[in-house]
Amino acid sequence: MAEATTLHHDQETDQHLWEGGRSPFKLGYGKIMMWYFLISDTFTFASFLIAYAALRFTAGAAWPKPAEVFASVPVPAVAKILEKLGINPEHLPLVYVSFMTFLLIVSSYTMVRAVQEGYRMNKWGVVKFLFPTILCGIGFVACQYYEWSHLIHSGMTATTASATTKVLNFGQLFFVITGFHGLHVTGGVVLNIWLMVSAANGKFDKVGHYEMVEKLGLYWHFVDLVWVYVFLCFYLL
Amino acid sequence: MDFEEPVQGHLHWTDGEYSDGRKEVLKTIVVLSVVTVVEVGIAISYDTFAKDGGKYRWFISLLMAVFSVVKVIYIMGTFMHLKHEKKMFILSVLLPFLFLIWAIIAFAFEGASWNYMRSWLNAF
Repeated sequence: MAEATTLHHDQETDQHLWEGGRSPFKLGYGKIMMWYFLISDTFTFASFLIAYAALRFTAGAAWPKPAEVFASVPVPAVAKILEKLGINPEHLPLVYVSFMTFLLIVSSYTMVRAVQEGYRMNKWGVVKFLFPTILCGIGFVACQYYEWSHLIHSGMTATTASATTKVLNFGQLFFVITGFHGLHVTGGVVLNIWLMVSAANGKFDKVGHYEMVEKLGLYWHFVDLVWVYVFLCFYLL
Repeated sequence: MDFEEPVQGHLHWTDGEYSDGRKEVLKTIVVLSVVTVVEVGIAISYDTFAKDGGKYRWFISLLMAVFSVVKVIYIMGTFMHLKHEKKMFILSVLLPFLFLIWAIIAFAFEGASWNYMRSWLNAF
Protein backbone atom coordinates (compact mmCIF):
# COMPACT_ATOMS: atom_id res chain seq x y z
CA MET A 1 0.00 0.00 0.00
CA ALA A 2 2.78 2.38 0.97
CA GLU A 3 4.55 1.44 -2.27
CA ALA A 4 1.51 2.39 -4.37
CA THR A 5 1.07 5.83 -2.77
CA THR A 6 4.77 6.50 -3.26
CA LEU A 7 4.64 5.80 -6.97
CA HIS A 8 1.54 7.90 -7.31
CA HIS A 9 3.37 10.76 -5.64
CA ASP A 10 6.34 10.44 -8.00
CA GLN A 11 4.15 10.49 -11.05
CA GLU A 12 2.44 13.61 -9.80
CA THR A 13 5.68 15.50 -9.32
CA ASP A 14 7.49 14.24 -12.41
CA GLN A 15 4.95 13.81 -15.16
CA HIS A 16 4.95 17.44 -16.33
CA LEU A 17 8.73 17.20 -16.90
CA TRP A 18 8.58 14.47 -19.53
CA GLU A 19 6.86 15.22 -22.83
CA GLY A 20 6.64 11.49 -23.53
CA GLY A 21 4.99 10.91 -20.16
CA ARG A 22 7.90 8.99 -18.64
CA SER A 23 11.66 9.21 -18.23
CA PRO A 24 13.56 7.78 -21.21
CA PHE A 25 16.27 6.42 -18.91
CA LYS A 26 13.98 5.05 -16.18
CA LEU A 27 15.57 7.55 -13.80
CA GLY A 28 14.19 10.49 -11.88
CA TYR A 29 14.48 13.93 -13.50
CA GLY A 30 16.62 15.34 -10.69
CA LYS A 31 19.07 12.44 -10.83
CA ILE A 32 19.61 12.79 -14.59
CA MET A 33 20.12 16.53 -14.21
CA MET A 34 22.62 15.93 -11.39
CA TRP A 35 24.60 13.67 -13.74
CA TYR A 36 24.56 16.30 -16.46
CA PHE A 37 25.59 19.00 -14.00
CA LEU A 38 28.51 16.78 -13.02
CA ILE A 39 29.50 16.45 -16.68
CA SER A 40 29.50 20.24 -17.02
CA ASP A 41 31.67 20.37 -13.90
CA THR A 42 33.98 17.81 -15.51
CA PHE A 43 34.52 20.32 -18.32
CA THR A 44 35.83 22.88 -15.80
CA PHE A 45 38.14 20.40 -14.12
CA ALA A 46 39.23 19.03 -17.48
CA SER A 47 40.19 22.53 -18.67
CA PHE A 48 42.38 22.89 -15.57
CA LEU A 49 43.96 19.49 -16.15
CA ILE A 50 44.49 20.33 -19.85
CA ALA A 51 46.39 23.46 -18.74
CA TYR A 52 48.32 21.23 -16.33
CA ALA A 53 49.26 18.71 -19.04
CA ALA A 54 50.38 21.38 -21.52
CA LEU A 55 52.41 23.41 -18.99
CA ARG A 56 53.96 20.36 -17.39
CA PHE A 57 55.31 18.96 -20.63
CA THR A 58 56.46 22.43 -21.69
CA ALA A 59 58.64 22.49 -18.57
CA GLY A 60 60.08 19.06 -19.48
CA ALA A 61 62.64 17.59 -17.10
CA ALA A 62 62.62 20.72 -14.90
CA TRP A 63 59.23 19.72 -13.45
CA PRO A 64 59.66 19.00 -9.69
CA LYS A 65 59.40 15.48 -8.27
CA PRO A 66 56.29 15.01 -6.11
CA ALA A 67 58.11 12.92 -3.50
CA GLU A 68 60.42 15.91 -2.84
CA VAL A 69 57.72 18.60 -2.75
CA PHE A 70 55.25 16.63 -0.63
CA ALA A 71 57.82 15.01 1.65
CA SER A 72 56.62 16.02 5.10
CA VAL A 73 53.68 15.74 7.50
CA PRO A 74 52.64 19.39 7.91
CA VAL A 75 50.39 19.09 11.00
CA PRO A 76 52.55 20.35 13.95
CA ALA A 77 50.86 18.15 16.60
CA VAL A 78 51.25 14.97 14.52
CA ALA A 79 54.83 15.92 13.60
CA LYS A 80 55.71 16.20 17.32
CA ILE A 81 54.25 12.74 18.04
CA LEU A 82 56.17 11.27 15.10
CA GLU A 83 59.42 12.85 16.37
CA LYS A 84 58.85 11.25 19.78
CA LEU A 85 58.39 7.89 18.05
CA GLY A 86 61.74 8.40 16.33
CA ILE A 87 60.32 9.06 12.85
CA ASN A 88 61.46 12.16 10.99
CA PRO A 89 58.25 13.94 9.85
CA GLU A 90 60.23 15.73 7.13
CA HIS A 91 61.01 12.44 5.35
CA LEU A 92 57.62 10.81 4.87
CA PRO A 93 56.92 11.32 1.17
CA LEU A 94 53.26 11.00 0.09
CA VAL A 95 52.14 9.54 3.43
CA TYR A 96 50.12 12.61 4.39
CA VAL A 97 48.34 12.88 1.04
CA SER A 98 47.60 9.14 1.12
CA PHE A 99 45.81 9.72 4.40
CA MET A 100 43.76 12.49 2.72
CA THR A 101 42.90 10.12 -0.14
CA PHE A 102 41.88 7.49 2.37
CA LEU A 103 39.56 10.00 4.10
CA LEU A 104 37.78 10.63 0.79
CA ILE A 105 37.45 6.91 -0.04
CA VAL A 106 35.99 6.17 3.40
CA SER A 107 33.56 9.09 3.07
CA SER A 108 32.48 7.78 -0.33
CA TYR A 109 31.78 4.39 1.24
CA THR A 110 29.70 5.83 4.09
CA MET A 111 27.84 8.01 1.58
CA VAL A 112 26.87 5.04 -0.58
CA ARG A 113 25.77 3.21 2.57
CA ALA A 114 23.54 6.19 3.42
CA VAL A 115 22.02 5.97 -0.06
CA GLN A 116 21.33 2.25 0.47
CA GLU A 117 19.68 2.90 3.84
CA GLY A 118 17.57 5.48 2.00
CA TYR A 119 16.37 2.75 -0.40
CA ARG A 120 15.19 0.88 2.70
CA MET A 121 13.40 4.02 4.03
CA ASN A 122 15.59 3.74 7.15
CA LYS A 123 15.71 7.33 8.42
CA TRP A 124 18.23 6.88 11.25
CA GLY A 125 20.36 4.63 9.06
CA VAL A 126 20.74 7.54 6.63
CA VAL A 127 21.64 9.94 9.45
CA LYS A 128 24.06 7.40 10.97
CA PHE A 129 26.05 7.11 7.72
CA LEU A 130 25.85 10.78 6.72
CA PHE A 131 27.52 11.84 9.97
CA PRO A 132 30.91 10.12 9.31
CA THR A 133 30.70 11.34 5.70
CA ILE A 134 30.54 14.93 6.93
CA LEU A 135 33.36 14.33 9.44
CA CYS A 136 35.64 12.89 6.74
CA GLY A 137 34.84 15.87 4.48
CA ILE A 138 35.73 18.36 7.21
CA GLY A 139 38.86 16.33 7.98
CA PHE A 140 39.92 16.49 4.33
CA VAL A 141 39.52 20.28 4.14
CA ALA A 142 41.41 20.65 7.44
CA CYS A 143 44.27 18.51 6.08
CA GLN A 144 44.33 20.69 2.99
CA TYR A 145 44.58 23.80 5.17
CA TYR A 146 47.71 22.43 6.89
CA GLU A 147 49.26 21.31 3.62
CA TRP A 148 48.66 24.66 1.93
CA SER A 149 50.06 26.71 4.83
CA HIS A 150 53.11 24.42 4.98
CA LEU A 151 53.75 24.86 1.24
CA ILE A 152 53.18 28.63 1.37
CA HIS A 153 55.65 28.91 4.27
CA SER A 154 58.18 26.92 2.25
CA GLY A 155 57.96 29.65 -0.43
CA MET A 156 55.65 27.97 -2.95
CA THR A 157 52.90 30.49 -3.68
CA ALA A 158 50.85 31.55 -6.69
CA THR A 159 53.52 34.10 -7.62
CA THR A 160 56.77 32.51 -6.41
CA ALA A 161 58.44 29.12 -6.69
CA SER A 162 60.15 27.51 -3.69
CA ALA A 163 63.64 26.01 -3.62
CA THR A 164 62.23 22.50 -4.18
CA THR A 165 59.61 23.31 -6.82
CA LYS A 166 61.71 25.74 -8.96
CA VAL A 167 59.02 25.81 -11.67
CA LEU A 168 56.51 28.63 -11.02
CA ASN A 169 53.70 26.88 -12.91
CA PHE A 170 53.74 23.95 -10.47
CA GLY A 171 52.58 26.08 -7.54
CA GLN A 172 50.08 28.01 -9.63
CA LEU A 173 48.45 24.87 -11.00
CA PHE A 174 48.58 23.14 -7.62
CA PHE A 175 46.79 25.95 -5.78
CA VAL A 176 44.17 26.53 -8.48
CA ILE A 177 43.31 22.84 -9.01
CA THR A 178 43.42 21.62 -5.41
CA GLY A 179 41.73 24.87 -4.37
CA PHE A 180 38.88 24.34 -6.80
CA HIS A 181 38.58 20.75 -5.61
CA GLY A 182 38.63 21.86 -1.96
CA LEU A 183 35.85 24.33 -2.76
CA HIS A 184 33.79 21.41 -4.06
CA VAL A 185 34.47 19.41 -0.89
CA THR A 186 33.45 22.41 1.26
CA GLY A 187 30.24 22.82 -0.74
CA GLY A 188 29.57 19.09 -0.42
CA VAL A 189 30.02 19.24 3.37
CA VAL A 190 27.52 22.13 3.62
CA LEU A 191 24.99 20.25 1.44
CA ASN A 192 25.50 17.04 3.43
CA ILE A 193 24.85 18.84 6.72
CA TRP A 194 21.61 20.18 5.24
CA LEU A 195 20.79 16.65 4.04
CA MET A 196 21.44 15.08 7.42
CA VAL A 197 19.31 17.66 9.26
CA SER A 198 16.48 17.28 6.71
CA ALA A 199 16.60 13.48 6.98
CA ALA A 200 16.58 13.63 10.79
CA ASN A 201 13.55 15.94 10.66
CA GLY A 202 11.69 13.35 8.58
CA LYS A 203 11.50 15.53 5.44
CA PHE A 204 12.14 12.59 3.08
CA ASP A 205 9.71 10.28 4.90
CA LYS A 206 7.04 12.85 4.04
CA VAL A 207 8.19 12.98 0.40
CA GLY A 208 8.03 9.18 0.26
CA HIS A 209 11.53 8.45 -1.01
CA TYR A 210 15.17 9.33 -0.33
CA GLU A 211 16.18 10.31 -3.86
CA MET A 212 17.79 13.52 -2.56
CA VAL A 213 20.36 11.40 -0.67
CA GLU A 214 21.17 9.67 -3.94
CA LYS A 215 21.52 12.96 -5.85
CA LEU A 216 23.87 14.51 -3.32
CA GLY A 217 25.61 11.13 -3.11
CA LEU A 218 26.39 11.41 -6.83
CA TYR A 219 27.92 14.84 -6.21
CA TRP A 220 30.00 13.52 -3.33
CA HIS A 221 31.34 10.57 -5.36
CA PHE A 222 32.19 13.00 -8.15
CA VAL A 223 34.40 14.93 -5.71
CA ASP A 224 36.15 11.62 -4.95
CA LEU A 225 36.42 10.91 -8.67
CA VAL A 226 38.09 14.25 -9.38
CA TRP A 227 40.51 13.62 -6.52
CA VAL A 228 41.64 10.41 -8.25
CA TYR A 229 42.84 12.58 -11.16
CA VAL A 230 44.28 15.35 -9.00
CA PHE A 231 46.12 12.71 -6.95
CA LEU A 232 47.41 11.07 -10.14
CA CYS A 233 48.61 14.32 -11.75
CA PHE A 234 50.22 16.04 -8.78
CA TYR A 235 51.38 13.25 -6.50
CA LEU A 236 51.99 10.12 -8.57
CA LEU A 237 53.19 11.11 -12.06
CA MET B 1 -2.77 9.83 -17.30
CA ASP B 2 -1.82 6.15 -17.38
CA PHE B 3 1.75 4.94 -17.17
CA GLU B 4 3.10 1.64 -18.42
CA GLU B 5 5.76 1.58 -15.73
CA PRO B 6 6.92 3.76 -12.83
CA VAL B 7 8.51 7.01 -14.07
CA GLN B 8 11.04 7.21 -11.29
CA GLY B 9 13.97 4.88 -10.96
CA HIS B 10 14.10 2.05 -8.50
CA LEU B 11 13.86 3.95 -5.20
CA HIS B 12 12.84 1.14 -2.85
CA TRP B 13 14.87 -2.00 -2.39
CA THR B 14 13.89 -5.48 -1.27
CA ASP B 15 15.89 -7.39 1.37
CA GLY B 16 17.77 -9.35 -1.32
CA GLU B 17 18.75 -6.24 -3.29
CA TYR B 18 19.87 -4.56 -0.08
CA SER B 19 22.20 -7.37 1.01
CA ASP B 20 23.61 -7.71 -2.54
CA GLY B 21 24.21 -3.96 -2.66
CA ARG B 22 26.00 -3.98 0.68
CA LYS B 23 28.31 -6.79 -0.44
CA GLU B 24 29.10 -5.02 -3.72
CA VAL B 25 29.95 -1.76 -1.97
CA LEU B 26 32.14 -3.49 0.61
CA LYS B 27 34.07 -5.20 -2.19
CA THR B 28 34.51 -1.84 -3.93
CA ILE B 29 35.99 -0.03 -0.94
CA VAL B 30 38.44 -2.91 -0.36
CA VAL B 31 39.54 -2.71 -4.03
CA LEU B 32 39.89 1.10 -3.89
CA SER B 33 41.97 0.98 -0.68
CA VAL B 34 44.25 -1.78 -1.94
CA VAL B 35 44.82 -0.03 -5.29
CA THR B 36 45.66 3.26 -3.54
CA VAL B 37 48.10 1.59 -1.15
CA VAL B 38 49.80 -0.23 -4.06
CA GLU B 39 50.02 3.01 -6.08
CA VAL B 40 51.65 4.95 -3.26
CA GLY B 41 53.93 2.02 -2.44
CA ILE B 42 55.20 1.82 -6.01
CA ALA B 43 55.62 5.62 -6.25
CA ILE B 44 57.66 5.82 -3.03
CA SER B 45 59.82 2.77 -3.70
CA TYR B 46 60.56 3.84 -7.29
CA ASP B 47 61.61 7.33 -6.15
CA THR B 48 63.81 5.78 -3.45
CA PHE B 49 65.61 3.36 -5.78
CA ALA B 50 65.84 5.56 -8.91
CA LYS B 51 66.81 9.01 -7.64
CA ASP B 52 67.44 10.62 -11.04
CA GLY B 53 64.07 9.56 -12.50
CA GLY B 54 65.44 6.39 -14.04
CA LYS B 55 64.92 4.65 -17.35
CA TYR B 56 61.55 3.08 -16.55
CA ARG B 57 59.77 6.25 -15.42
CA TRP B 58 57.36 6.05 -18.39
CA PHE B 59 56.36 2.51 -17.43
CA ILE B 60 55.64 3.51 -13.81
CA SER B 61 53.57 6.47 -15.06
CA LEU B 62 51.59 4.20 -17.38
CA LEU B 63 51.00 1.80 -14.48
CA MET B 64 49.72 4.67 -12.30
CA ALA B 65 47.35 5.78 -15.07
CA VAL B 66 45.98 2.22 -15.41
CA PHE B 67 45.46 1.99 -11.63
CA SER B 68 43.59 5.32 -11.71
CA VAL B 69 41.35 4.05 -14.50
CA VAL B 70 40.54 1.00 -12.33
CA LYS B 71 39.61 3.31 -9.45
CA VAL B 72 37.43 5.48 -11.71
CA ILE B 73 35.62 2.40 -13.08
CA TYR B 74 34.85 1.22 -9.55
CA ILE B 75 33.74 4.66 -8.29
CA MET B 76 31.55 5.41 -11.31
CA GLY B 77 30.26 1.88 -11.75
CA THR B 78 29.45 0.86 -8.19
CA PHE B 79 29.39 3.96 -6.00
CA MET B 80 27.62 6.13 -8.58
CA HIS B 81 25.54 3.13 -9.64
CA LEU B 82 26.27 3.77 -13.32
CA LYS B 83 26.76 0.15 -14.40
CA HIS B 84 23.16 -0.62 -13.39
CA GLU B 85 21.65 2.20 -15.51
CA LYS B 86 20.33 1.96 -19.06
CA LYS B 87 22.93 1.64 -21.80
CA MET B 88 22.05 4.90 -23.54
CA PHE B 89 22.36 6.80 -20.29
CA ILE B 90 25.79 5.27 -19.63
CA LEU B 91 26.88 6.38 -23.10
CA SER B 92 25.54 9.91 -22.67
CA VAL B 93 27.65 10.27 -19.53
CA LEU B 94 30.73 8.32 -20.58
CA LEU B 95 31.34 9.71 -24.09
CA PRO B 96 31.89 13.39 -23.07
CA PHE B 97 33.99 12.11 -20.17
CA LEU B 98 36.24 10.00 -22.42
CA PHE B 99 36.71 12.82 -24.95
CA LEU B 100 37.85 15.10 -22.13
CA ILE B 101 40.35 12.48 -20.93
CA TRP B 102 41.70 12.35 -24.48
CA ALA B 103 41.93 16.17 -24.54
CA ILE B 104 44.17 16.04 -21.45
CA ILE B 105 46.43 13.42 -23.06
CA ALA B 106 46.50 15.33 -26.36
CA PHE B 107 47.58 18.55 -24.63
CA ALA B 108 50.39 16.69 -22.91
CA PHE B 109 51.80 15.99 -26.40
CA GLU B 110 51.11 19.62 -27.34
CA GLY B 111 53.14 20.77 -24.33
CA ALA B 112 56.03 18.48 -25.28
CA SER B 113 55.96 20.04 -28.74
CA TRP B 114 56.09 23.58 -27.27
CA ASN B 115 59.05 22.48 -25.17
CA TYR B 116 60.82 21.18 -28.30
CA MET B 117 60.13 24.36 -30.26
CA ARG B 118 61.36 26.49 -27.37
CA SER B 119 64.67 24.60 -27.21
CA TRP B 120 64.96 24.94 -30.97
CA LEU B 121 64.44 28.73 -30.78
CA ASN B 122 66.94 29.02 -27.93
CA ALA B 123 69.66 27.76 -30.28
CA PHE B 124 69.66 31.14 -32.04
